[in-house]
Amino acid sequence: MKVAVCVKHAVDEAELKVDSSGSPLFAGAASKMSTFDKNAVEEALRLKAAHSGEVVIVTVGTGDAKKSMKEALAMGADRGVLVNADPLKMDPARTAELLAAALTKAGPFDVILCSEGSSDMYSGLVPPMVGEMLGLPYVGYAKKVEVGGQTAKVERALEDSVEVVEAPVPFVASVVSEINEPRYPTLIQIMQASKKPLEELSPDAFVPVSKAPSSATVAMKAQAMARKKVMFEGPPDETAKKLVDALASEGVLPR
Amino acid sequence: MAIYSAEHRRLMEMFYPSGHQGYSDVLSSLGEFLENEVLPLSPKLDSGEASIAKPRKALFKQGICQIAFPEEYGGLGLPFSVYSNAVELLGTADASIALSVEIHSAVAEGLHRFGSSDQKREYLPRLLSGESLASFTLTEPASGSDAGTMATTAELKGGEFSINGSKIFITNAGEADLYMVFAKTRKGPSCFLVEASCPGLKFGSDLRKLGMRGSRTSEVIFTDCRVPKENLVGEEGKGADYAKEILHGARIIVAAMNVGIARLAYDKSVAYARQRKAFGKTISEFQLIREKIADMKTDLNAGRLMYFYASKIKELGGDYSSEASQAKVFATEMSVRVCDEAIQIHGGYGYTTDELHRHWRDARLLTIGEGTSEVLRMLIARRELARSQ
Repeated sequence: MKVAVCVKHAVDEAELKVDSSGSPLFAGAASKMSTFDKNAVEEALRLKAAHSGEVVIVTVGTGDAKKSMKEALAMGADRGVLVNADPLKMDPARTAELLAAALTKAGPFDVILCSEGSSDMYSGLVPPMVGEMLGLPYVGYAKKVEVGGQTAKVERALEDSVEVVEAPVPFVASVVSEINEPRYPTLIQIMQASKKPLEELSPDAFVPVSKAPSSATVAMKAQAMARKKVMFEGPPDETAKKLVDALASEGVLPR
Repeated sequence: MAIYSAEHRRLMEMFYPSGHQGYSDVLSSLGEFLENEVLPLSPKLDSGEASIAKPRKALFKQGICQIAFPEEYGGLGLPFSVYSNAVELLGTADASIALSVEIHSAVAEGLHRFGSSDQKREYLPRLLSGESLASFTLTEPASGSDAGTMATTAELKGGEFSINGSKIFITNAGEADLYMVFAKTRKGPSCFLVEASCPGLKFGSDLRKLGMRGSRTSEVIFTDCRVPKENLVGEEGKGADYAKEILHGARIIVAAMNVGIARLAYDKSVAYARQRKAFGKTISEFQLIREKIADMKTDLNAGRLMYFYASKIKELGGDYSSEASQAKVFATEMSVRVCDEAIQIHGGYGYTTDELHRHWRDARLLTIGEGTSEVLRMLIARRELARSQ
């Protein structure tokens, strides 16, 4: 079974700072593999372990993105294809277009996995667009993927229910973090990863820009969160209970 | 907090103008593992609510002991400084595991340097993968760094050595699968390998310690403990020299571990000083607290450079005995100082919170263990006076 994983080298959202106007400072910001992409890589490796075959990492990114690709290779993927372009400077449609072209060139694949959204931008637009551009069925928010022969059974984690769907192979799926626990590569795997094949493609020779961007980001601002400043008044026994309930409903205490 | 920080990365770039990228990849991956899988467990190891066995096994599986050993034994063949840096990171994540791993690796190092090719083939791959845990048994109730005065004996009886005596303050005792034991034969102190299954091997109860509470420390008792004569390491009568050589390398690692302990205490102190208010401003604005922070950071960087320097001399094949001892004396005393100031900066919370005073309790062991500061100062002076002749 040939499995492709679309991996993004993302801005580390935990380290991202904003300027006085609230605009994020992307220049020089720390970066890392987009958090849930690790789940997609892990799932691909599990599919490979069950069915044998190959796992290919496909990335649209700058040279820096090789760090994330190497990490995925160290986890156990077999090879990587990097389309040299900066996803921060293009709209999701162009990213999807480049990914789809790279997937066609490196494929064909039985399963193409993405994560539900990148940990920096989290538009969640790229995975369904890739499916559409490749003319493949798309299944979003997978929490379980089972591939048997020509059909796959996928459990989709929806807001308040789980939907079980069948899709013909090949297909594109996006995974949620609860699908698995990503493995840590061992130190020897980290060292061996740099010996695995990593092909670099130039986007212009490869997929000329076909049309003007369908959307553009005009501004991006951090939202200032005002404190709620809730006061509980009354006898301590009652207010303590109200406080505990309020904290639990905020999700900071286990119920 | 990134355990493998930008400062570490910069140091690697300076020490290894080519090749640093690969080393940094290894160390930052290890750092991420430690941050997620070891650091959160550390308070429970100190309080006894969690056992060291599982995280230590996971860490071995990641490959921490493979770093500086040759590939033929399952090692990664990386420079010794990469390993010492790895142990610094481990010291930050959890001092008890760092101590246990350091002792284990010292046995592997001893075996690699002085063992026969059969012994190396038999034991090294198992030790480097962590399939077997090792323990270094040298210290006795009445004999420490003066290894020549040891009372444990090994007598050759029909193709076997019979070991009798007892060792004290032994890390990993009772948990280890393999013991590197020093005992006196007719030719003098000698080094042996004793498997845990060997009849005649017994262990005392786990000693209650000031710090390093996650690691097991106890007495090891030998009563007619028989080992085949093939288990002699190197030459009979050379054991004291081997122990000395093994400890030189281990002292660099102990220095690195203490830099790691101090680093966490320092990071916590800076974070606290920036948010704790007194007289209407944060205490980080007071000059006396600023002096502490300046001195702690200076100390920390000096300790780190010293263990890197000694590591580099070892890598290049030079005589590093004095520099290793200097690094150990400085880094361990520095670590106690920094952890002490961390308690002071945290005030009453420092004195009453395990999470703060445990750093001081952990650091405090190592101005004593693996050569006291006093013995090491003697050694440094002896070496430097000889060099100046």
